[in-house]
Amino acid sequence: MIRALTTRRTELAPFLLLLPAVATMLFVVALPLIFSLWTSLTPYKLTKPNTLYDFIGLTNYIRIFGDWDFWEAFLRTIAFLTVAINVEFALGLGIALLINKITWGQRGLRTIMMFPMMFSPILVGFQFKFLFNDHIGVVNNALQSLGLTDQAIPWLVDAKLAMFSITLAEVWMSTSVFAILLLAGLFAMPRDPLEAAKVDGCNSWQVFRHITLPFLMPFAYIAMAIRSLDVARAYDLVAVMTDGGPAGRTELLWTLVARVGYDEAKMGQANAMAYVSTILSVLFTWYFYRKLVAARRYMGGAE
Amino acid sequence: MKLRTTLVLGTALVAMAVPAFAQDYGKHDGYTLRVKLIGGAQYEPLYAEIPKWEAATGAKVEIVSSKNHFELDKEIKQDIAAGTLDWCVGSNHTSFAPQYGEIYTDLTPLIAAEDLAAFVPLMIQHSTVDGRLVQLPRHSDVSNFFYQKSLFEDEANKTGFKEKYGYDLAPPETWAQVKDQAMFFSNPPDFYGFQFVGKDEAVTGRFYEMLVANGGAMFDDNWVPTFNSPAGVESLQFFVDLYEAKAVPAGVPNYTWDDTGLGFGSGSIAMDLDWGGWSSYFNDPANSKVAGNVGLIRAPKGSGGKRTGWSGSHSFSVTEGCDNKAAAASFVTFLTSYDNQMVEARKGLLPTRTQVWDDAIAEFTAAGNTFSADTMTTFKASMSEDAFTPPLIPEWIEVSNVLWPKLQAAIVGDMTAEEALNAAQADAAEIMKDAGYN
Amino acid sequence: MTVTVESRASKQAKKVALWLTTFVLMLVMCLPGLWVVLSAFRPNREILAKPPVWIPEEITLDNFGKIFGFGAEQVGIPVGSYFTNSLVIALTSTVIALIIGVAGGYSFARYRFRFKGGIFLGLMLFRAVPGIALSMPVFMMWSRLGLVDTKMGLIIVYVSLNVPFTIWLIDGFFRQIPQALSEAAQVDGCTRWQAFWKIEFPLAKSGIAAAGVFAFLTSWNEFALASQLTRSTDSKTLPVGLLDFTAQFTIDWAGMCALAVVIIIPALILTFIVQKHLIAGLTFGGVKG
Repeated sequence: MIRALTTRRTELAPFLLLLPAVATMLFVVALPLIFSLWTSLTPYKLTKPNTLYDFIGLTNYIRIFGDWDFWEAFLRTIAFLTVAINVEFALGLGIALLINKITWGQRGLRTIMMFPMMFSPILVGFQFKFLFNDHIGVVNNALQSLGLTDQAIPWLVDAKLAMFSITLAEVWMSTSVFAILLLAGLFAMPRDPLEAAKVDGCNSWQVFRHITLPFLMPFAYIAMAIRSLDVARAYDLVAVMTDGGPAGRTELLWTLVARVGYDEAKMGQANAMAYVSTILSVLFTWYFYRKLVAARRYMGGAE
Repeated sequence: MKLRTTLVLGTALVAMAVPAFAQDYGKHDGYTLRVKLIGGAQYEPLYAEIPKWEAATGAKVEIVSSKNHFELDKEIKQDIAAGTLDWCVGSNHTSFAPQYGEIYTDLTPLIAAEDLAAFVPLMIQHSTVDGRLVQLPRHSDVSNFFYQKSLFEDEANKTGFKEKYGYDLAPPETWAQVKDQAMFFSNPPDFYGFQFVGKDEAVTGRFYEMLVANGGAMFDDNWVPTFNSPAGVESLQFFVDLYEAKAVPAGVPNYTWDDTGLGFGSGSIAMDLDWGGWSSYFNDPANSKVAGNVGLIRAPKGSGGKRTGWSGSHSFSVTEGCDNKAAAASFVTFLTSYDNQMVEARKGLLPTRTQVWDDAIAEFTAAGNTFSADTMTTFKASMSEDAFTPPLIPEWIEVSNVLWPKLQAAIVGDMTAEEALNAAQADAAEIMKDAGYN
Repeated sequence: MTVTVESRASKQAKKVALWLTTFVLMLVMCLPGLWVVLSAFRPNREILAKPPVWIPEEITLDNFGKIFGFGAEQVGIPVGSYFTNSLVIALTSTVIALIIGVAGGYSFARYRFRFKGGIFLGLMLFRAVPGIALSMPVFMMWSRLGLVDTKMGLIIVYVSLNVPFTIWLIDGFFRQIPQALSEAAQVDGCTRWQAFWKIEFPLAKSGIAAAGVFAFLTSWNEFALASQLTRSTDSKTLPVGLLDFTAQFTIDWAGMCALAVVIIIPALILTFIVQKHLIAGLTFGGVKG
């Protein structure tokens, strides 16, 4: 009876309640995206405002798709995101499992665990640039003082190490997000299956593998989906640490877009690239969201 | 030479004839002047003087933006794009100015001729784009050669060096000597002979000045890029060789100005080509380990017999759309006035008025500050004889952006110097063609 | 008897060992950040030395003195107005995002309607658009609307950054609260609004608190868009202020660290206070979708 009452009377209510949210997103994201789609079809240069009205079709897209440097940056961005998100997940899971076992002083430990989240990405960039400085950086100084190496390791220059250093900075900045979300998942976990498994003589690895982990997977996908929403935040720190260099070894889509768009003022071409990076980000989020929905079904939750 | 002497003499006379404090800045009662100024610690002391101009003219100054130069550059490009050039005075730089097209007005008709004559003529020349004086130089910059004195005075070093290289160890006169000495002093990973900036427009600039010093040029008369000439390869090879020999820190391809400055201050770099703005930092015991041990000479010569002297000036411009150009020009004149340049010179910035150079040196000498006096003297010489700007064309940054990643590729060994420059030349040629130069 | 005592003791020892291991691990994880905090209290000469100075020879407040202007040497960085701007912008945008997000989340949790899944996913995907792709077009729009260099301009942007995640969290949270509760209240004569306000909202407090912390941290630390949309002391925020320590040729790393500490401390305090609600608030209503 109540149900019948509510559904009829409040047909409009859900839409009204959602209106502010939808309006905000349309205004701040959708409208600008339409504008930048238009600019990507023009030879728009910031310093020559009139170029905004020359329609050149897909020329910008054809140009970037024919450019190997662009594809290299594109593939590197995918590799960077994949590695970073997986490492963050693994580390975050480890930390969450440890903290979950702690009974005394957990609130303090959890705050310490979230410490890196207090750092603005731009600050993380400066911080790791100094830490990884080959000459006066703390990392090399420590390694040399401990006698682990007598070399000055060029963390931000070497072909392999440069990407590694950037990934490490990103992992440092974002692992906490995974840890806190997974910890919430562990807290929500029912105790009974765990106790039952122990009584049945399962060892801790078996318990983890067959009970804890499957239960946590939806939380993992939630965490990944949420993380994927702002992976592009990594731009700030890469821009400060290497800005894509040296010799393009750490060039990501975002650094390329910024350089072409602002330094060279070629906003039309930059926005064509930005569109590709937008699609990439959206696909990442969409992928994790599908996984989440699938995991929820698997858990037997009612959709 | 003779001509220059008379010119300098002439401007000095003019400067003395018109005492700076008697300057008339006009009356602009009730007017609010909107300005965008470069921010940052070393630039702020000048802005503390602004109330004096407000008191003299009755106008108000509203600082609508204060950012570092790269951020300000972005912002001005955004303003051009959005059509929001609703301000009058902006900080500018000789290297950035050509990109902005005609948004800044020609100052020649707005500023008294005798005022302009008080500036170092070369600085006025550098501030001119397409025959228009689009900016008034505030202070300028050029790099000179810093080194740790004790290393060159050490007897063991002297004999060891002579044995190995067959000539006496002395502060270098040529870049070839710098290379020998850098390799001699280096003891990686604790100590390096030299260092250089390795990315962005910074490394383009360093390569460019070496190219000029070695007798090459970026472009020929028809604006075709020619930096892949033998002189270009020789210039790039200098950086490649030092990097391969580990005579510079392994991280230099990621270094910009702050890294080299802090590196020399850390006491573990023997020699450093750096900007005048760092000299007081290097000699300040609170910040630098080499304080008291800093030697300074003019930048060495390249194989073409010319000294390196890549230079740029910080400056102020007035927008074309400004609604009160007289007030704006008065403000710009005030900021670059004799008194205010003295304020900045005392902080170690390099002035653009002839008279200020001399008076600042005299003031330092009188105060017994020989380090600052010597620094000023060295920079004065290079500023008036060695300084040159990058080509003042809007495409400079774009060309730089195709060049520097290739310079890096050669430095880290992905390409040979010749391959790298040829590849960059092809890209640069396309940019110039697209822009309609040839 | 002795057996239980021993096992209790060994259990205790295990606990302490676990605690210590975790604590040390956390500390190692925090080291890169702690180094920033420590650097704020040391002079440049020591932080950037070669050979390194491991044990600080000099602990100083000079770096703070410089930025707040009570030291001998003053750097003209208006930290006070940056701090106020940051606080006003972060708090306002968090509150607005929470209001919008609670309304939206409630709608998703309690109603069935057409295109529900699509709208939800759409909101999330809009959020995934990289800031660098938005900065130029948003700037152009904002300049037409006169929102550049205003607090309002940034607040609007940050609200949109935070609404999708808030909706996600709140939606999950409301699902956890049995619908029967509010239905019972409605049977007792409450309006739907009263039922929400008196019964469901108080139960959702920790979910709202958790969403609030995330929203606050995002706004407080955001740089990419703030650096494009702010210009003067009218709206510049603390992270943008970090760049004031970089001039064309120089960087004052110790000073930057001091400002970093100023940025970190309020965020840390807030996180600690809300910590109790945070975990509870993040449970996403189980995972039942």
